[in-house]
Amino acid sequence: MVATTVPPPRQRSRLRKHAVPYLHLAPALLAVVLTTVYPLVSALITSFRHWRLNETREAGEFVGLEQYQRVFTDDTFFNSALVTLQFTVISVVLSVGLGLAIALILNNRTRLSALTKALLILPFAVAPALKGFSWRFMLNPDTGVYDQLLDTVLPFADDINWLGDPFWALMVIALTEVWGWAPLIALMLLGGLNSISPEVREAATIDGANAWQRFWRVTFPLLRPLLLIVIFLKAVFSVKIFDQVVTTTGGGPGRATESLNFFAYSQGFTFLDIGYASAVSWVIVLVLGVLATLYLIAMAKQEAK
Amino acid sequence: MTDMAVKPAPAPSRSAPVPRPRRRPGGWAIVRAALRVLATLAILFFVLFPIFWMALTAFKPARDAFSTAVVFAPTVDNFAAVLGGASDLTGALVNSVLIAVATTIVSIPLALLAAYAFSRYRFPGHRGMLLAIVATQFIPGVAIALPFLTLFRSLGLIDTHLALVVVNLSLVVPYITWLLKGFVDGLPIEIEEAARLDGCGQVTLLWRVITPLAAPGIFVAAVFSFLLSWNEFLFPTFLARTDASTLPVALMTLVLPEGVAWGQMAAAGLLVMAPMLIMALLVRKHFAEGMTMGAVK
Repeated sequence: MVATTVPPPRQRSRLRKHAVPYLHLAPALLAVVLTTVYPLVSALITSFRHWRLNETREAGEFVGLEQYQRVFTDDTFFNSALVTLQFTVISVVLSVGLGLAIALILNNRTRLSALTKALLILPFAVAPALKGFSWRFMLNPDTGVYDQLLDTVLPFADDINWLGDPFWALMVIALTEVWGWAPLIALMLLGGLNSISPEVREAATIDGANAWQRFWRVTFPLLRPLLLIVIFLKAVFSVKIFDQVVTTTGGGPGRATESLNFFAYSQGFTFLDIGYASAVSWVIVLVLGVLATLYLIAMAKQEAK
Repeated sequence: MTDMAVKPAPAPSRSAPVPRPRRRPGGWAIVRAALRVLATLAILFFVLFPIFWMALTAFKPARDAFSTAVVFAPTVDNFAAVLGGASDLTGALVNSVLIAVATTIVSIPLALLAAYAFSRYRFPGHRGMLLAIVATQFIPGVAIALPFLTLFRSLGLIDTHLALVVVNLSLVVPYITWLLKGFVDGLPIEIEEAARLDGCGQVTLLWRVITPLAAPGIFVAAVFSFLLSWNEFLFPTFLARTDASTLPVALMTLVLPEGVAWGQMAAAGLLVMAPMLIMALLVRKHFAEGMTMGAVK
């Protein structure tokens, strides 16, 4: 680093002046490159090699695209891709929908709303793994408190074994996500709602717009860029779902809740097929890459405003 | 910093809103206000009940663990069991603290330097690197954990604190760099200019001027860094299953062949959860901004 005794910047050589920002960046850049770029490249190389940990300690011969061909002919991979897609759609719709509802309900200045807003962040801070256990406990079909509550309100729910049913098991995992994300999304949207000036809505009211029209014609269009960002963000985190799959269902019943991340994990960790798992993880990287690009575009548009 | 003071809740104080003159304070307005209060209470229930229920279960005696009773003779048996007792998780608790603290201590200086550079200089690659930093958020954990699994195996670092601190940097450094950039952006540049005129060198400037000024930002960044490391599950699942395993992963040891030990799970869960709830309340104003890396203010 630069010593304390160097003369003020304008007397420094040009080269040195240009080097200054990079010198500041170097340590963080090194850390990020070592912990993200290195593993990504390493996984890419491994994805072209045969490597089963139970056979060899070191990576085996190059097999070209063989493992990617295997990915796209593997029914269990397609299953996990489908599970992940369903999960992503369910949790995005529920999180953003509920988040928007919460934001609209709390968009006022009463004390009760202020208190609620202050507490909204709490579920998000709970470790996702623990969220899984917590909801698994509350939805235990014999003793869970939510299960009993639901059975009283909805008699047909009595027969549902939440984690034993393929559809409901996925819904429960989605619910653990919604619990954390809907309130967080509400907070983000409340920020957006605050920036909409009350005069705009007043004007619409004076022009005779009812509440429904005011929402769809005034609030919603102004909120749309923000909603887009929130949807992509939630989608990205949903595609990455892993923790709660492990702590609620372990991928079951059958393979009904095996997400992509969980599938890659079981290939690598349970079946010790590092080569194949690396190929799967790169397919996930590419899927997320597309989503990330859309997100960054949405973000740039928002910034440009 | 926070208004955690719990107001005596719901009395329909809605009838006296401060701004916006009310048009017709007729019957409909009252019904709507009442509905709004009900909906708000439902939100509070949705948000708080799982937390409340876990805290309650943690103090229940074994025979009540599965009951929906709210009244019972509270006991600390479950805490005794997970802190030195039958299903001891003390080791994992210590690991969690050590790893989160170490990750934070390593990340903050790196991130602050980078944040300063991003905030104060324009240089070739500025925008590209900032975007790259946002993009790291989208890398799936398995793509990072798998290569490190084989690397750490060959280095004999599997199941060590060091292994987890290293991989945690991939989560934490980009995140808090972005967070701190926002804070440094907000610092008046005049102070720095004055310091430079007084002959203050770069290192002194960063340490004596920027660091104290950015202290509130550094606090927020430290809290986020601690929180991210503490709650991380995928990395320790791959890289540290026993000796260096952290609390969220160690919860799995309470899943026994005969079923989950729910009482102990709740007690351990409260240990995982409580510090994070407090931290979240401390920095709650920065969550929306933090999670979207500034896209949402």
